[in-house]
Amino acid sequence: MIYLDNAATTFPKPEIVYKTMDNFYRTLGANPGRSGHRMAVAAEKEVEDTRTVVARLFGIKDSKRLILTFNATDAINMGIKGLLKSGDHAITTFLEHNAVSRALNGLEKRNIITVTKVRNSPDGLINPDDIKNAITSKTRLIVISHAPNVLGTIQPIRKIGRIAREHNIIFMVDAAQTAGVCEINVDEDYVDMLAFTGHKGPLGPTGTGGLYVEERLTLEPWREGGTGFEPASLSQPEELPFKLESGTPNTVGIAGLRAGIEYVLSKGIGTIRAHEQRLTNKIIQALKDDQRFILYGTTDISQKVGILSINVKGFKAAEVGAILDQSFDIAVRPGLHCAPFAHQMIGTFPDGTVRISPGLFNTEEDVDLFIRALVKIANERI
Amino acid sequence: MSERYARQISFYGIGIQGQKILMQKNAVLIGCGALGCTSANLLVRSGLKRLKVIDRDYIEESNLQRQSLFDEEDISKNLPKVVAAQKKLQKVNSHVQVESFIADLNPSNIETLLESADIIIDGTDNFETRFLVNDYCVKKGIPWIYGACIGSVGLTMNIVPSKTPCLRCVLENIPPFGTIETCDTEGIIAPIASMIASIQVAEALKILTGNFETLNKGLLKIDLWRNEIKRLHVEDIKEKSDCITCKQHRYEFLSKKTYSMITTLCARNAVQILHPNGSKLDLKRLAVRLEKAGYVSFNSFLLRLKIDRYELTVFPDGRSIISGTTDASVAKGLYAKYIGM
Repeated sequence: MIYLDNAATTFPKPEIVYKTMDNFYRTLGANPGRSGHRMAVAAEKEVEDTRTVVARLFGIKDSKRLILTFNATDAINMGIKGLLKSGDHAITTFLEHNAVSRALNGLEKRNIITVTKVRNSPDGLINPDDIKNAITSKTRLIVISHAPNVLGTIQPIRKIGRIAREHNIIFMVDAAQTAGVCEINVDEDYVDMLAFTGHKGPLGPTGTGGLYVEERLTLEPWREGGTGFEPASLSQPEELPFKLESGTPNTVGIAGLRAGIEYVLSKGIGTIRAHEQRLTNKIIQALKDDQRFILYGTTDISQKVGILSINVKGFKAAEVGAILDQSFDIAVRPGLHCAPFAHQMIGTFPDGTVRISPGLFNTEEDVDLFIRALVKIANERI
Repeated sequence: MSERYARQISFYGIGIQGQKILMQKNAVLIGCGALGCTSANLLVRSGLKRLKVIDRDYIEESNLQRQSLFDEEDISKNLPKVVAAQKKLQKVNSHVQVESFIADLNPSNIETLLESADIIIDGTDNFETRFLVNDYCVKKGIPWIYGACIGSVGLTMNIVPSKTPCLRCVLENIPPFGTIETCDTEGIIAPIASMIASIQVAEALKILTGNFETLNKGLLKIDLWRNEIKRLHVEDIKEKSDCITCKQHRYEFLSKKTYSMITTLCARNAVQILHPNGSKLDLKRLAVRLEKAGYVSFNSFLLRLKIDRYELTVFPDGRSIISGTTDASVAKGLYAKYIGM
């Protein structure tokens, strides 16, 4: 199987991730911080080590402000629902994943907040001025994906972040597709909340992720319960990360996440991104002048992560996905990618696109085989 | 005892005792098509305690030729088969408790839907559901009566756990993708369905009243067009076979180990189904068969079949993407009707 669906989850993981998780669960599988025995302490240390490594990845100075979550959706909900209050206004885009769109829409439908969605250019870019123009006196939050998952266009988060800071508005970035493949520095990019998932760019397992919460922010916990900290108190502790981290954490996943991020850091984010861009660009160059294919979003690879959305004329996206799977043993992601508005913006709703996302472990040969397969499919138009 | 059952009571095989027993019994009918309509009608008239009818389909015009419980008015009201059936059946006999379930019988709901059944009558259109029912019945020791027909040919067999061979003794697995013919492509004449259903109900009456000695033994095959009646002697298969279900007690369908995978796709209005016994097939062969059912186009990678508002895209290993619905049971129904499973 040639796996070109790394935007859904990266596969395979570095060997060290499998080994770390196996070893952790066999030797340190205690509940961290609760019981005080040596194994529990060792498990807690593993969690805190991961927090430190994640903090390093994003330039976070105080690792206690990095909340470990179960994925990006968990982090996004924690941020949006923990921050927004009745009467608040939020600004977002049409390109967002349902994790953002639905969380905001849910609050809007209950008349708690109002939302403005900013349009993108045909290339898939958001103009920071459009965001600025959408600001009202009620605007509390600007939330945007660093590189939306359908088109993969990298958004100018620093410029948007500066606008937010100037207007004293909270700036939240969904880094699901960029953590581990794009340089992110929460201070330099003016990010107040950064949500990421562990199983994509950071090369960790599913069930891991995190939310960075900037110092000036106080979030209400959207999940309350046991923290292993101040157990006698009836109310949730105020101190981070405990306030937002109730319940037994995914310790084995967290151990794997650390191994994944350490692997990413040792390879170098720049190297990984260059590799993925090179492979994606090879596909773009092979298809872009062929009338049988439609490519969506910018074809300028310097503006993209390794995500490409296409369609083959005469076929539905789901059909192309199924043919690639069964006749060529190639895995891609057809459909709407949990981002229906993005597909409405590019005119591919409801059938969606075929999304190809090469990863660190793909080779030039994988991509060549993919291109050849796609041409064969296009040749058999019915 | 009311006058209603007088003739049945006068019959030597039933009698007053038999009638009393019948009126304590619960039957479940799976599938309310051509076989099911006749079975339901006969069962309700015979006076059971309760009849449950399970079907996932809505009535279509092409059903009226052979599905005797439905009429034109039901179609204009766009009724589910079981709803129309329940209404008619309840009019026929208000003393029988008729219950209807608009559902696709599957490993997740079978325990609930078939609970407390004394007998199960097969009116389904697919092998997957039959193998599932077979698993359940063998495991629970409930008799069931297999019935199937296509064209002018019908088949039926009694499966009485621990007494007779089970379905898997006779047929080891679901026939591979592409080898199953369906009524929607090959057609059917109504008399064969009535005939098979009538035999099924006669057998059910025998089983429910404990008349095991006169049961039809073996697999009965009838072709009304060629005037052939054959009895395939399968009685001793049970002794010889090492049946995975009734000898080894491995219930692969009930435990979903072997079952079609159904996924609602991440595009609006499409469901993907993987055939439970997928195998590579020349789509040209399938195209020839399906051309009788709707508009077909194909290449070496896929075949598209347009039926009303649905489009079935079939791939060489039996995988199918069914667009026009997000309802897994509708998609499975279309798959069973046209592709076969």
